[in-house]
Amino acid sequence: MSMNTTSGRGIGARLRRREDERFLRGQGEYVGDIRLDGMLEVAFVRSAVAHARLRGIEKPAGFEDRVFTAADLAGVRPIRAVSGLKGFKVSEQPVLARDKVRYVGELIAMCVAPTRAEAEDIAAQVFVDYEELPAVSDMLEGRKPGAPLLHEAWGDNVFLETFVDGNIAEIARRAPVKITRRLRTARQCMSPIEGRGVVAQWDRRLDQLVVISAAQMPHITRSGLAECLGLDHGKVRVISPDVGGGFGYKGILLPEEVCLGWLAMHLQKPVRWLEDRREQLTANANCREHHYDLTVYADNDGRLLAIDCEATVDAGAYSSYPFSACLEAAQVASILPGPYKFDAYRCRTWSVATNKPPILPYRGVARTGVCFALEVAIDAVARAVGREPWEVRLESLPTREMMPFDNITKKHFDSGDYPECLRRAVAAIDVGAIRERQRRGEPDGRRIGVGFAIFCEQAAHGTSVYYGWGIPMVPGHEQCQARLTPDGVLELRIGAHSHGQGLETTMAQVAHSVLGIEPENVRLIHGDTALSPYSTGTWGSRCAVMSGGAVAAACKEMAKRVAKIGAHLLQTDVSLVRVADGQVIGPSGSVTLKEIAYTWYRAPQNLPSDVDPGGLELTAGYKPVRDTGTFSYACHAAVVAVDVEIGTVEILKYVVVEDGGVLLNPMIVDGQIYGGTAQGIGTALYEEMPFDANGQPLASTLADYLLPGPTEVPDIVIEHMETPSPYSEFGQKGIGEGGAIGPPAAIANAVNDALKDLGVEITEVPITPARLLSAIAAAKVRSAA
Amino acid sequence: MKTVNMKVNGQPVTAAVEPRMQLADFLREQLRLTGTHVGCEHGVCGACTVEIDGMPARSCITYAAMCEGAEVRTIEGLVDDPIMSHLREAFAAEHALQCGYCTPGMLVTARDIVLRLPDADDARVREELSGNLCRCTGYVGIVRAIRRVLDERKS
Ligand code: FES
Ligand code: FES
Repeated sequence: MSMNTTSGRGIGARLRRREDERFLRGQGEYVGDIRLDGMLEVAFVRSAVAHARLRGIEKPAGFEDRVFTAADLAGVRPIRAVSGLKGFKVSEQPVLARDKVRYVGELIAMCVAPTRAEAEDIAAQVFVDYEELPAVSDMLEGRKPGAPLLHEAWGDNVFLETFVDGNIAEIARRAPVKITRRLRTARQCMSPIEGRGVVAQWDRRLDQLVVISAAQMPHITRSGLAECLGLDHGKVRVISPDVGGGFGYKGILLPEEVCLGWLAMHLQKPVRWLEDRREQLTANANCREHHYDLTVYADNDGRLLAIDCEATVDAGAYSSYPFSACLEAAQVASILPGPYKFDAYRCRTWSVATNKPPILPYRGVARTGVCFALEVAIDAVARAVGREPWEVRLESLPTREMMPFDNITKKHFDSGDYPECLRRAVAAIDVGAIRERQRRGEPDGRRIGVGFAIFCEQAAHGTSVYYGWGIPMVPGHEQCQARLTPDGVLELRIGAHSHGQGLETTMAQVAHSVLGIEPENVRLIHGDTALSPYSTGTWGSRCAVMSGGAVAAACKEMAKRVAKIGAHLLQTDVSLVRVADGQVIGPSGSVTLKEIAYTWYRAPQNLPSDVDPGGLELTAGYKPVRDTGTFSYACHAAVVAVDVEIGTVEILKYVVVEDGGVLLNPMIVDGQIYGGTAQGIGTALYEEMPFDANGQPLASTLADYLLPGPTEVPDIVIEHMETPSPYSEFGQKGIGEGGAIGPPAAIANAVNDALKDLGVEITEVPITPARLLSAIAAAKVRSAA
Repeated sequence: MKTVNMKVNGQPVTAAVEPRMQLADFLREQLRLTGTHVGCEHGVCGACTVEIDGMPARSCITYAAMCEGAEVRTIEGLVDDPIMSHLREAFAAEHALQCGYCTPGMLVTARDIVLRLPDADDARVREELSGNLCRCTGYVGIVRAIRRVLDERKS
């Protein structure tokens, strides 16, 4: 079959997005835009304290039938996200708190009224009688014997402990260089600009609960709702309309979804809840908090010999559905080695329950933390051996000739040239010029530094990677339903959801590459469990590979079917026709998809007698050749200027060299990298949800939880390498998360480079002025001593 | 309840509103003009930016009742505006939007920049945009789109 790659509209084209037109006119439809007839609004009463026994909940007089507590929710099951990993302790999360509350913001009661303001008024009058308990607000404290217990039956606060023992003793003893560091990343809130939102309604005709929710994984949400509400899947339909950003924040079964589902059935009226920013910040700062005690062993050239790590992840109070409380720490153990080759590895991890919101995987998941920890330590190695940090890295990167390369934790790097990626970043950032500039000094007295981070991003990983974790969701394959309508338009239905990734465009490009159909004549239908095949949804940078593969498979099958009909209409043999440019082309003449579709639906008398009665509507599936995932990788390089008087960091230049394999749409790929990098800059310099010793979150507005704005994000420079993945349909690799992985490491390394003469080394992000100034002060004290 | 008269997208509107109702909620819930989005409801993110009497303003912290006699224009009312069409074209060409949630507010602010600061350089554009947050694009495409419109209007 010929591929339509030369038209400038298929795979590889910077095609403008199909979805832009509605958004640019304010015609998108997000959950908050939906109003159903007779709809009531919901506000939640949330826990004001981090840890307490609930002595009682008093509904305000006169509003008893407008307030609902756990006692009202008969038959609703708690959310249970188990892991099959040995020793995992199960948490039960009641959708409304029962006997205890375990974090500030946990749902206690649901209040309903004609408007949101009135519902909030009622919520403010609900009296909750707390018997406060000491809180666990620090994961290391929480791990210690004698710490207050979140889940008493466990006996401790550890969801899961894992241990990889690679027998490092011998190598460690011989290693001439040993660097030990304690590193930390702060708790963050993913902060899509649109918050969460849910509308629920009982459809009497279909005898079905309809939940409209800003969801990245509508089919998984449906499974979770069916389980918690005790309904057959057939009685639950989940619709995810336009969604204003996900990043992982909307990749979860929400207790609010279960609550509203129950309420819609109970009241037999549509209900809506829209999260406000205060709820989002105070009740849902739910990601990124890692602590590392890391030792790196190297030889005198700085080549890595062994890594020894103890990592603790603050998993919050409950195990979230479907990813569980231990995905993050399990991932730390398996990916800490990063892109490097070395000989011995030991890693112990703890997922610790604390009185904080349950952890969710945020863009990059554990990679952002491990990349920060390892890359900062490698720069320390470089300083110890007196070499350039990039030279030291080159000693330990697998070369192109080694690909595919299995690293020490059996991660299978599928393709690429990692040293070349680093060398290109070194050239683009121009290390020589920066060293020269450092010698000259800055006229304004600031200090300049350059930093690198190189990492890989495993994407679209499937069954073999996930089943071992035994969580409620194991990905494997992906399907696409394709239908040619009577007027020759191609409808594609996929179970993943597009909320900024541009799938409505890229999937049309895939269809164009296979069938030659104009992208305008392709409609992508997604975000509705009633209209799409089951899918684990949009997460793990999987859609370009998995949905793209499924769409290609469906289009190829469609090509066979139209070829058969087309050949008959052209009165030629099917072996003599080809499908291209939206037509079936024979030796003498052609027939359009539209004519073929018309014949199938409206003029069957003209069909060949042995036509496939399955017609022009079909489901096809895709599974990669190997399901260990595509490995995109990137090197980030940053130049910063540090003001040691006031502790600020300005990014002067930022370069990303990325290998995303074959790019379905380079414009969209660049957009993912820009946006991810901006988020990573937030992790590096600004974003932090502090909690006090009582487990109270200390930021409640976007004026105290700082998101990077237009003046904080530089004009990022991107270079592409395009080594095709040998395992995906077109050689494409998942790249959606990479941008958010590199920045904390690259920027911290640049700051440490700028301040190396002062003996300052940052090992914690975000690098706020307060943190930076105290590190500078501490270094002064050290050098005076 | 308080009665308020204003013009929204050129149409006179008279409505009874609760004193505490914000303009954003009034536009979205009562007039069903849902192109104006709310991201933070406390005046930081800029998603709710509309034009009030010719100036960009945050509709999430502006009481509807305070808009007596005001002329309010939302993204829906700017569809036929020539600068807005130019910006739409540039936003699509420069991939200045992903999820689209910040986009209406961005466009209202961008239009104000184009009108008021024809000579703005990129640094100035970024400064002027700093009341609008986007979590998806990293601002690169947005700044380029505004740059493109500024440049094209000059030539
Ligand atoms: S919603 Fe008005 S500024 Fe954020
Ligand atoms: S495009 Fe999603 S917030 Fe800007």
